[in-house]
Amino acid sequence: MATYSLANEQRLRALEDIEREICAILQNAGTVILELSKEKTKEQLLHRQAAAFTASVQHVEAELSAQIRYLTQVATGQPHEGSSYSSSKDCQMALQRVDYARLKLSDVARTCEQMLEN
Amino acid sequence: MAQKRVLPQSKETLLQSYHKRLKDDIKSMMDNFTKIIKTAKIEDETQVSRATQGKQDNYEMHVRASNIVRAGESLMKLVSDLKQFLILNDFPLVKAIDQHNQQLRALQEECDRKLTALRDQVSIDLYQLEEAYYSSSSSLREANNLSLCEAYWRLDLDTDAADGLAAPLRASLEPSAGPLQSAAPAHSHASGPGPTEHA
Repeated sequence: MATYSLANEQRLRALEDIEREICAILQNAGTVILELSKEKTKEQLLHRQAAAFTASVQHVEAELSAQIRYLTQVATGQPHEGSSYSSSKDCQMALQRVDYARLKLSDVARTCEQMLEN
Repeated sequence: MAQKRVLPQSKETLLQSYHKRLKDDIKSMMDNFTKIIKTAKIEDETQVSRATQGKQDNYEMHVRASNIVRAGESLMKLVSDLKQFLILNDFPLVKAIDQHNQQLRALQEECDRKLTALRDQVSIDLYQLEEAYYSSSSSLREANNLSLCEAYWRLDLDTDAADGLAAPLRASLEPSAGPLQSAAPAHSHASGPGPTEHA
């Protein structure tokens, strides 16, 4: 279970990275156009930004194609209707009960110690 | 060689539409970017005046820049849809949810079982502590201020009395109240955790 959820989290992180890269693509395009609008353009910067734009676009395309290919392989017929919310809530409450019992026991232990000292 | 999986048509169509959207958006970005750079080139010979050509180029660049931004936003929407599809339809994750549920329930049952055992143990110890405490300070107590043990014993006696002993029978049993009283504490001791359990 941990393996599956970890792999899924990795995929979601990869998709988030792709989102950030798309923003970087737009930023690169804006930088190139801004540089073109100047009277004296810096060619090196222009080439660098244009190359970065092209590389990022190709990388995003490759990554998204890989994600779609993976989904084609693992997609189920029906979307799942299960949820682990109720069981996790019950477990959380059980752990809170344990913490409360521990707190009360520590109070009793402290009281006993005080009685013994007195 | 992996065999092609047979998906429901809706899922297949959906994934194909994702693929198409990806291709279209990437193509739109690259084309518009390339055209902007080409348009930035200043040409000596133009069919219209320089000012008009400049205005036209300006408008074209605005439109192409907007197209690049629209394609970028469409890609962001596509990524969001892919995330949703992954969460809802990833088969290994769906299996993992059931296992996760089982693990959480097992942990909860174990916690409750241990708390119940702890409760039983603490109630036994508490009973013994109360007995020791009240017996040690019994000389300082008032007549009406009964210890917890004696209050339970009184309750047991009253319960036994109300349970079916009629008045004549009660009167006939009065001489034997002594043995009853000595038996009642033993009964309470035997069911020591009982009262606290009911509490």
